[in-house]
Amino acid sequence: MNLELNTSIADPQWHGLIVWYFFLGGIAAGAYVMAALADLFGDTDDRPGVRVAYYIAFPLVGVCGLLLTIDLGRPERFWHMLIQSNTGWPMFKWWSPMSVGSWGLSAFGLFSFASFVGILTEDGWLGLKRFSPLASRLRTGLTGRLFALGGSLSAFFLGSYTGVLLTASNQPVWANTTWIGALFLASAASTGIAAMVLLDRSLKLDIKESVIEHLEQLDSWAIVLELVMLAIMAISLGRLSRFAFGTWPGLLIPAFVVPVGLIFPLLVKRWADTRSAVTASIFVLVGGFVLRAAVVGTPLPILSLTTVGR
Amino acid sequence: MAEPAGFYTDTTVCIGCKACEVACHQWNALPARNGGEVPLSGLSYDNRVALSDVDWRHVKFIEQFSADRTRARWLMMSDVCKHCVNAPCLEVCPTGSIVRTEFDTVYIQEPVCNGCRDCITACPFGVIHVSAEKHISQKCTFCYDRLQNGLVPACAQACPTRSIEFGPIAELKQRALDRVGQLHGQGASEAYLYGADAKILGGLNAFYLLMDPPETYGLPAAVQAQVPSRSVWPASVKAIVASLVIACGAFVSFGRRKREVAMTEGKGGSSR
Repeated sequence: MNLELNTSIADPQWHGLIVWYFFLGGIAAGAYVMAALADLFGDTDDRPGVRVAYYIAFPLVGVCGLLLTIDLGRPERFWHMLIQSNTGWPMFKWWSPMSVGSWGLSAFGLFSFASFVGILTEDGWLGLKRFSPLASRLRTGLTGRLFALGGSLSAFFLGSYTGVLLTASNQPVWANTTWIGALFLASAASTGIAAMVLLDRSLKLDIKESVIEHLEQLDSWAIVLELVMLAIMAISLGRLSRFAFGTWPGLLIPAFVVPVGLIFPLLVKRWADTRSAVTASIFVLVGGFVLRAAVVGTPLPILSLTTVGR
Repeated sequence: MAEPAGFYTDTTVCIGCKACEVACHQWNALPARNGGEVPLSGLSYDNRVALSDVDWRHVKFIEQFSADRTRARWLMMSDVCKHCVNAPCLEVCPTGSIVRTEFDTVYIQEPVCNGCRDCITACPFGVIHVSAEKHISQKCTFCYDRLQNGLVPACAQACPTRSIEFGPIAELKQRALDRVGQLHGQGASEAYLYGADAKILGGLNAFYLLMDPPETYGLPAAVQAQVPSRSVWPASVKAIVASLVIACGAFVSFGRRKREVAMTEGKGGSSR
């Protein structure tokens, strides 16, 4: 066993729910980023895609909040993340990724909620039809652009801070590379777009074929970026990469995520028909989930040594 | 503020009696696991195996044999929270539950902790665990209640060989250095102090006199125990660069598509 590994660690038990949070939070962030960027740089053709993203981002981030709360040992104390329980003042430590993340998640929750309500209003749901012109005006004006900018920043944060959180630790592998945040962000972008494409194809929404093709192209770029991030991460780990990617569950990254969750969808996208887009999106999503499960699980083999070694 | 206090543990005089474990359990009213049933671990005389939510002291037994097994050496070490000067657990704790006391020790405020377990990822010594009953993080309190009342921590009080010594840090360090000098003088040149200087997390308020490399005792080397905040900025900068790459890529891509649409519409218009 590589002597660079610290075998004196304990298991934080960040398993099932946390992996789901990382995955669903990534989709919400990735989809929202694409929608906000489309609001900023796109045109009217992009609107149906933007609507899909805004419709899924807020419910997903709501589920994320629920998962995080349930995962706490004492869920009724979830608010201690934001408010000092003994003074009532805000609780904020800029040097603690979990503290900053709690505020970032809250900020993204507010942005995605406002976007969700805006889309509901524009679409005339919940008896809000009379406010529809106002919502459209707000969105297309300077306020809307500033809002999209702020929303995209909060989404970029949500997509990446989970990786920084893992890095800011003393767990083997997590603490030995500073590239997990960038990797998770690239994965968030690809899974977010994949979710948008999958929803459009499954629910037969009215997104133009040219827009879907454009999204597919963006997804391909995100996948390539993810592959580059993975390669850089492996290089940054040095000799530890053999341990990280050669033992279960980290082994899933070279054995499954790269060939099945990244390269296969890239190849499938070249077929460029309706069914291939759905297939590629499903594989991207599965790959995104397995990637997070594998990265989160990389210190697990050490934990088995921890007990035996003592 | 009271003088910084600490533990100096001289592993060369530990006899593995486990009085420290018992005293810790008794004073802190820590429950027994499995209804008091102790399964045999097969690891020397160590059936507690590791620190846990209900074991805040743990005596490690390390048996070393020569290849032909004619010679043996038995190392013993009473492990505990190191009450680090730059404590990683305290640094990452998002609720402010983990605080530094007036004695310079690291303490978990139970009513504040919400069981997020970030402190467990941060601790390089595997000290902190979540209580199965209370569902919050648990570790050695350095007998904070005893210190406040001018008493010695229960483990140090119970240690019959003075392997665990309690006192002001400066005084303990001097005593430890004298002991290392004494051992070196007796020919035990391998004796050294672990955590007494600032190399590991700015110093450990519970430091050790060891006879083998830290890994032998299940302790991390200095390079493996770092403050978590060291990587926050480098990791954040890389995430920001990745964000910029995605944003710029989207900007270029949306712009190109707009131009293509405009060209297509232009061609369509001219052909009409």
